[in-house]
Amino acid sequence: MSQQFTPNNPLPQEAKVPEEMAVFSPEVEAEIDGHLAKYPVRRSAILPLMFIVQRERGGYLDPPGVAYLADRLGVRITDIWEVATFYSMINTEPVGRYHIQICKTLSCKIMGEPEITGHVCGRLGISPGETTPDGRFTVSLVECLGSCGTAPMFQIGFDYHENLTTAKVDEILDALP
Amino acid sequence: MRIEAIGCEPLLLARFKSENSHTLEVARTYGAYDALKKVLDSMTPEQVIEEVKKSALRGRGGAGFPTGTKWSFVPKDSPKEKYVVCNADESEPGTFKDRYLMERDPHMLIEGMLIAAYALGSKVTYIYTRGEYRYLIDIMDRAIEEARAAGFVGKNILGSDFSCEVYTHTGAGAYICGEETALLNSLEGLRGHPRMKPPFPAVAGLYQSPTVVNNVETLSAVPVVITMGGEAYKALGTEKSGGTKLWSVSGHVNLPGVYELPMGYDDMEKFIMEDCGGIRGGKKLKAVIPGGSSVYIMPAEDIIGKDVRLDYEGLVVGGSMVGSGGFIVLDETVDVFESTKNLIEFYKHESCGWCTPCREGTDWLVKIFKRIAKGEGRPEDAQLILDLCDNIEGKSFCPLGDAAAWPIQSAIKKFPEDFKRHLAPLAAQAEEASVAAD
Amino acid sequence: MSAELIKVTINGQDFQVAKGARLIDVCREKGFSIPSFCYYADLALQASCRMCLVRIEKIPKLQTSCTITCTDGMIVTTESDEIEKAQRAMVEFLLANHPLDCPVCDRGGECELQEMAFDWGNLEERFTEAKNAAPEKYLSPIVANDPQRCILCKRCTRVCDEWMGEDAIEAGGRGAHTVIGTYGGWLNCSQCGNCIEVCPTGTLLDATYRHQARPWELEQTVSTCSFCSDGCEMSLGSRAGVLMRSVARDRYVNGHNGEFLCIKGRFGHPFVNHEERLRTPMIRYRKGGKLIPATWDEALAFTAKRLEEIANEHGASSIAVVGSPRITNEANYALYKFATEVVGTENYAATDAFSLVPFFDNLGGALATHKDIRHARTILLIGGEPEELQPLTGRQIRQAVRNGGAKLIIVNSREIRLRERAAQFVHVRPGAEDAAVLALADPAQHALAARKMGVEAAELETLRQTLNETEGDVVVMFGGELSQAAQAILAQLPYAFSTEARRVLLHPLPLYNNSVGCHDIGLMRGGRNAGQILDAAGAQVRALYAAGSFLPEHLSSRGDALSKLDFLVVQELFETETTRHADVVLPAASFAETDGTFTNNGGLVQRVRQSIPPVHQSRPDWMITAQLARALEADFGFQMSASNVFRELAAKVSAYEGLRYPLLKDETKPVQVKHPVAERKDLLKEAEGLRLGVEGMSEEAEKWTGTPPVGHELFKPGTLTGKVPQFHLLAAGNPEPPSVLISPLYQITIDASLRQEA
Ligand SMILES: Cc1cc2nc3c(=O)[nH]c(=O)nc-3n(C[C@H](O)[C@H](O)[C@H](O)COP(=O)(O)O)c2cc1C
Ligand code: SF4
Ligand code: FES
Repeated sequence: MSQQFTPNNPLPQEAKVPEEMAVFSPEVEAEIDGHLAKYPVRRSAILPLMFIVQRERGGYLDPPGVAYLADRLGVRITDIWEVATFYSMINTEPVGRYHIQICKTLSCKIMGEPEITGHVCGRLGISPGETTPDGRFTVSLVECLGSCGTAPMFQIGFDYHENLTTAKVDEILDALP
Repeated sequence: MRIEAIGCEPLLLARFKSENSHTLEVARTYGAYDALKKVLDSMTPEQVIEEVKKSALRGRGGAGFPTGTKWSFVPKDSPKEKYVVCNADESEPGTFKDRYLMERDPHMLIEGMLIAAYALGSKVTYIYTRGEYRYLIDIMDRAIEEARAAGFVGKNILGSDFSCEVYTHTGAGAYICGEETALLNSLEGLRGHPRMKPPFPAVAGLYQSPTVVNNVETLSAVPVVITMGGEAYKALGTEKSGGTKLWSVSGHVNLPGVYELPMGYDDMEKFIMEDCGGIRGGKKLKAVIPGGSSVYIMPAEDIIGKDVRLDYEGLVVGGSMVGSGGFIVLDETVDVFESTKNLIEFYKHESCGWCTPCREGTDWLVKIFKRIAKGEGRPEDAQLILDLCDNIEGKSFCPLGDAAAWPIQSAIKKFPEDFKRHLAPLAAQAEEASVAAD
Repeated sequence: MSAELIKVTINGQDFQVAKGARLIDVCREKGFSIPSFCYYADLALQASCRMCLVRIEKIPKLQTSCTITCTDGMIVTTESDEIEKAQRAMVEFLLANHPLDCPVCDRGGECELQEMAFDWGNLEERFTEAKNAAPEKYLSPIVANDPQRCILCKRCTRVCDEWMGEDAIEAGGRGAHTVIGTYGGWLNCSQCGNCIEVCPTGTLLDATYRHQARPWELEQTVSTCSFCSDGCEMSLGSRAGVLMRSVARDRYVNGHNGEFLCIKGRFGHPFVNHEERLRTPMIRYRKGGKLIPATWDEALAFTAKRLEEIANEHGASSIAVVGSPRITNEANYALYKFATEVVGTENYAATDAFSLVPFFDNLGGALATHKDIRHARTILLIGGEPEELQPLTGRQIRQAVRNGGAKLIIVNSREIRLRERAAQFVHVRPGAEDAAVLALADPAQHALAARKMGVEAAELETLRQTLNETEGDVVVMFGGELSQAAQAILAQLPYAFSTEARRVLLHPLPLYNNSVGCHDIGLMRGGRNAGQILDAAGAQVRALYAAGSFLPEHLSSRGDALSKLDFLVVQELFETETTRHADVVLPAASFAETDGTFTNNGGLVQRVRQSIPPVHQSRPDWMITAQLARALEADFGFQMSASNVFRELAAKVSAYEGLRYPLLKDETKPVQVKHPVAERKDLLKEAEGLRLGVEGMSEEAEKWTGTPPVGHELFKPGTLTGKVPQFHLLAAGNPEPPSVLISPLYQITIDASLRQEA
C-alpha cells in the first residue's frame, strides 16, 4: 500500500494487464471527470470510479473495467485489486441483476431477519451467498445498514426496504421488472 | 420510527416537522445559514473556536472528544492546505441518527462544515458517507448545489473573501473506515487501514495536511452553538458535556426511533420504559447495549431503579459508555450468548486485518462461538474466551479490537447462565431434567 | 539523528541514548531482547504484528516499541508477566491459523515464527478449531507461495514498494481473509526475490531451490556476487560439493546490501554445477581439427611451447594477454604479471565494455559507496540504467528518494523507470549525454548543450541550481553512454561543486562484478585495448591468451579476427564463441569454487570465498596462469594460495596498499580501496575537446520514447544465466501457466520455443 501519491506519468504494470480496456459513453466519462475534479490526487477517486465501472460493466469489476481504472487513475493494476478486495460493496465476481442484501446484525436479527431471509431464500430457491441460475437475483447477508430502528430490512441495489414483513417482501419482489 | 425531542426544545431536529425540510427553501424559513452569515460578518476564526470550546460540545462519533479543543490543535501557521472531513460512515450497529440528519436536514450539516472550515482556514471539505447510504449522497449533492446556487458554497461565500468547497465522497462497505485515520486512507484511495498516531490528523491528516474529522451530528450542532451562543448551548447539558444529543433506539421497544435529549437526561429507565414506549408485547426488559454495539452490555437490574444519567459520565457510572448513542434494547426472549455471537461475527467481518490480535482473535472467537452454537461447547470455553478477549483488549492497533472484546467480556460477566447453558449442554440438560423431576 | 544524549530507564537500568533513537533498537542494543516480525530497519513502520509491546510509565496501554522514539526520562519495562503474556498471546494468535507441519515446510530450520514458538516453549495448543486453508501455488517461475503460512508482517510488500519501487505484490482481501498477492495471481515483476528473502515464514519460497535441501544440511559460505558491479554480499549454500542456493539472509551474511539481492545474484547461480561446464583441458593440435581432451600437463606444456615459438618468431609483443572484468583481482593480477614479467608484452587488455582509465586518471574525489548513496541529498544520474544493470544501486537510489527525501536528477536518452522517482528528468537525444557533462563543466555552454540535447536551457539551469543548493552529499553516477573524454571531465566535478557543506561523490556504473578491480590492476592500461588487439590479430598480434571470452560487441564488428590468430588459448567455464576458435581451452573454476576478491563500483574490495571444490578438472584462473608461467620457467611464488597473490598485489597496486585477507574478513565492515585522487585541472581548458565533440552532434536526431520494460537486461539469458531455465521463461515474457498449482517450468518442456537463447 504505497503511501506515496500517484505520479502523473504512467507506471509500468507489474502484473498482467487485461488486453481489452473498457470504453464508456461521453456521459459516463463526464461523470468520471466530475469525480476526478474533486481531489488533488487522482487515486482518491478510486471508490467512486469503481462504483461507476461496476454499474456500467454488469455489476462487477471485469478485467476490461479494471484495466480502465488502472489507466484512468494512473495506478498499478494490483493497486486496483488491493483496494477492490478490501471493500465489501465492490464486486470482483459477477452478481445477480438484483442484489438483495439482508441485514443480519443484532437489531435486525432480533426483529425478524431470520424469517425474512428464510422467506426470500425459499422464494428464490437459493441460499445466502448464491445467485439464481437465471442470474436475476443474488442474496447476501450483510452487516448493519443503519436501519436498526426500522428493522428488519434489506437493500436491493441501493434501495432501502424497511419494516419488512413476508407479505411486504412478496410485494417488493413481485414489483421488480 | 419516532423522531422526537424529549426534555428539551428540538435543536438538531427542529426542522424535521415540516415537509421537505431537506430543501433550502424550507430550511431557510428556519434560519439555515444565518449562523454562517453571523460568523462571516462578525467573528474571527479564533472567536468561532472559542465559542465552540465554551459550548462544551463533544464529539458525537464515539470518542466524545471536546470539539473545540480538537479544532485548536490545527496549526494556524501551517502553509499546507487544511481539510475538514465529515465522518458520515455511520456503521456502528444500532446507530442511525446521522442518516436522518442528512436525509431531513442536509443544510444544517453543510452550514456546520462551512463554519468549521472558516474557523480552521480550510478551502476544501469532504463528506465521507458509507457506500450503502447512496441515496443520502444524492440528497447531499442536491443540497450542495442548491447552496452553491444561493451563494453559500463556492467562491466568496456571501460576498466575503471566504471561499470553500463541499464535496461528497463515498465509502464502499467497511466499518473500519469510520475510524478517522482509516477514513483518511480510504479517502486517499487506499485500503481502509487505520494509521499510526501520532501524527494526529490535526497535524498530518488527509494528504499529510492538517485535517479535522468530525461526526455528522457534531458538525450539525455547530450552527446551533453559534446561533444560541456557547454558554447557552452548554447550559442545556452538563458541565462536561454541553447541549443535546441524538440517541438511536432499536430492538424490542414499542417506539424505536431517533430521540434528541439534553445531555445529562435522567433517567435511562424512564427513557426506555416511557419515552420509547416500553418493551414490546409487555415483555420484560433483559438488557440494553446503549452506545452502539461497541460498549458494555447493561443488564436490566443495572438500569431499573438505578436512575442512570444519560451523558458521558453518567453511563460510565452506570457501567457502560455513550459511544455513538445507539440503544439496542433486548427483551427477556433474547439469549445473550446468541446476541454476543451475532456481534463478534460483525467484528470479525469488519476487522481490517492489519494487526495480529484483532485479525486472528476475532476469527478464532467466531470459530469458538460457532462450535458452541453447534452444541459442542465445553465448560472451559468461557475461560478461554475471556482470556482471548484480554489478549486482544489494549493490544490491538486501533480501538476496533477493544470494541470487539468489551461486549463479550461484559456479556459473560453479566449473563453467565446464558453461557453456561451452552458451554455445558449436558450438565444443563441434566439440571433441567432434575428440576422437572421434583 | 542529533548527537544529543538523553536518559532512558529500561528495566530499572539508566542509559544515555541518542535523542530520537527508536526504542526497540535501543532496547536491543542494551541487550534486552524484544521480539518482532513487522519491524524491519529502514522500511516504513507498520506496528501490526504487536510482538514488540512494552510498558512505558504514564501511558495507560502497552506500547509498540517499534514506533516509539525515546524521550528524556522515559521509563520502560520490557520484562514482566504482563508483557510476557502479551507476547505469548501474539505468537499464539499467529500460530492459530498457521499450519504446524514445519517438517514439510521449506523454511523449517530458518523460520522466525518457528524460532519464536520454540523460544516461548510449552505453548499448549488451545486452538482446536479448523484452520483457514488455501492451496500452495506459484506466483512466478521464481516465487512459490503457501498463503496459509502468512503472518501478514508485510515485509514483502514493503520491500517490493520501498526497495524495488515496483509495488508488484500487495495485500488483498480483508481481516482474516487478507492475502498477499497480485491482480490475477501472477507476478510480473523484476523477480528479485527479495520478498522471499525477508519473509520470516514459509509463505514466499524460492521455487528454484524448493524441496531440494534443508537449511541445516547446507554449508554456508559468505562470498560476493559475480554478476554486476554492485558486488552484493551473499551466503552460498552448498551440500556435498553442489551449490544449492545463494541468499542474503541476515542470519548468514550482513554485507552492504543487507538482505537485498537481485534475480541474477539470487537465482543465477545454477550455472556453477551445470552439466555443460568444461570438464577437462582440450587441445586443437592442428587448425581446423577437433578440440581433444588432454591432461593439464599436456595442455600447459603445449601452450608454453607454442607461446615460446611465436615469441621467438615474431617477438614478445606479438603475444597478447587479455584479462576479464568478471574474474578476481588475483586472477587479473596473475595475468598482468604474466604479460609484463613472463612474456614482456605491452599488448595486454581486459574485455570490458568501456575503460575506466580516463575516469580514474582524473578522479577529483572519493567514490560513493552504496551507503553514501542511501544517505545522499542529491543524486545526479547521467546515462545508465541501474535498475537493470546495477540493481543494488537502483535500490539505494529509490530508498534515498523514498525514505531519505533525496532529490534525484536523471539525464538519459531513454525514459527509464527510475524517472518515476526523479525530481527532474532531462530527456536528451540519443548519444547527447556528453553535452550534460559539458554544461556542468562550463556554464557558458548551457545554450549549446541544451540545443544538442534537445531540451530547454532552463532545465540545465535548474539542474545546476539543485546541485548548488544541496547541503550534504551529492552523488554523481554515469553509465557507458559517456565518451571517455566526458568521463574524464566528470571525474573532476568534485572540484567544481564541493563546498564546506557539500561533498560531491562519484559512482561509476560499469557492467561487471570486477570492472573496477580489473582497472586497478592495470590491465586496461596496455598498449592496445581488447578491440584493437583483435584488429591487430594475424598482423602485429599472433598469439592471444585470454581468461574469459570476448564480449559479443567486440566480436560482432570483427568477423573472423579470432581465426586469424596463430594461437589462441582461453580459460573458460563454458564453450563460447571465443573457445570455438581456441587452440587450447582450459577449464576455469567459477567464483563459487575459488578464493579471491572483487572490487565493486563503490571501491569496496570484498572477499570471494570457495564454497565448493572446483568442478571436474577446473582450476582457479590465477592458478592456471601461475602454472603456465611455471611451464615457462617463471615461478610466481604464489605457493598455491590466493592470499599470497593478494599480498603481492597489495604491494604493487597503491590503492590496495597494506590490505590483507584478514582485514577483509568481516563483511559487516567493508573496506574501500584508496584510489589516488588526481590534482585539480582547468576544467574550461579540459572541456575544450569535449565541446568540439558536442558541436558535432546532430540536432535532428529523434528522441527515444517509451519506458524500457522490466527485465529487458536482467532477464537476458547470457552465457551464465542462460543455464537457468527460469530466465528463459522470463525472457519469453513470463507466460502465465494454465495452472499455478504446478511448477511453471513444465511449460518449457512442452514448448521448446520458450527457450530464448541470447
Ligand atoms: C472502529 C471505529 C469505528 C468508528 N466509526 C465511526 C463512525 O461510523 N462515525 C463516526 O462519526 N465516528 C466513528 N468513529 C470515531 C472516529 O474515529 C472519530 O473519533 C470521530 O469521527 C471524530 O468525530 P467527533 O469528534 O465529531 O466524534 C469510529 C471509531 C472507531 C475506532
Ligand atoms: S545487484 Fe548485482 S551484485 Fe547484487 S545480486 Fe544483483 S547482480 Fe549480484
Ligand atoms: S514490530 Fe512492533 S508491531 Fe510489529
